[in-house]
Amino acid sequence: MQTRHFETSGEAELLSASAAVLQDLGFQISESVREIGLLRAAKERSARQYGQEIGRTLVGLISTAGFAVGANTLILLPVDLHQQINASLVTRPIDEGGSRHEVRILFYRLVWKGSGQSGDQYIAPGQQQMEMIRDPGIYQQFFARLAKSVFLEAHKI
Amino acid sequence: MILENGFRWLTIAALGLGIMACASPQPAPDLLAPTDEQMKLRNMQTRSFDITDRNQAMRGVIAALQDLGFIIERANEPLGLVTAARFAEPKYFDVLGVTVTVRPQEGDKMLIRANAIYNNEPITDPQVYQNFFATLERSLFIGRN
Repeated sequence: MQTRHFETSGEAELLSASAAVLQDLGFQISESVREIGLLRAAKERSARQYGQEIGRTLVGLISTAGFAVGANTLILLPVDLHQQINASLVTRPIDEGGSRHEVRILFYRLVWKGSGQSGDQYIAPGQQQMEMIRDPGIYQQFFARLAKSVFLEAHKI
Repeated sequence: MILENGFRWLTIAALGLGIMACASPQPAPDLLAPTDEQMKLRNMQTRSFDITDRNQAMRGVIAALQDLGFIIERANEPLGLVTAARFAEPKYFDVLGVTVTVRPQEGDKMLIRANAIYNNEPITDPQVYQNFFATLERSLFIGRN
């Protein structure tokens, strides 16, 4: 899923085309090492979802009903506020002559949560969580654009 | 008079105590001294490989780390340095970090050293490093066909 082969000897072109594609996808290149074919890129987006907001409201309402009875059980679920999507890309020759190259990219995201409340306990905002992005569509989209931009076919393993 | 004298001594003693409390604690003289522990750790973290091309060795290291699910965070070709990290899934709160250095050795060899850190504690289990070097060997020699 993360890897494609390209029949080309131009590693530098492959790398700069990858950088261009990542920029097209809204990423900002944060680090690049040409000698070993490494690129890192990141983009920041809002992570708010309707589902989570509705869940927070419902749980809040139900717990407020408990509050009316006299129990101190106010619960406000923290929701995802902000996310940073990261990409780490490596190119590498896969035969002796260097006529074929492999591009491997890894997407993952960091999510920051907002504040919440559980009974007397205040949940401070800024709780962080990280997850790998395993949606094949994102990888396919990236490689489709990359193949188009280097005029080459991307071979699966 | 005696009482007054005693009081004076008490004040002096208290002042002295106060000054002593203000002095910052001195570091132990053996703070940065080499220990046997360090040597042992270095030995299990280091292995030499029959490779002449450092660039090729570094690419092998990166491929091995990626195969192990690491995110490559930093790499420096002139220094032969690769830094990577991953969450020790399925426990998302534990972070596993690795720094690998590749140094040319006399003859046709490369010295590869891996420092692995689990939640800010260095890993001292030799098995972990053996596992890593086994993966690295595979990616360096079998991966190139």
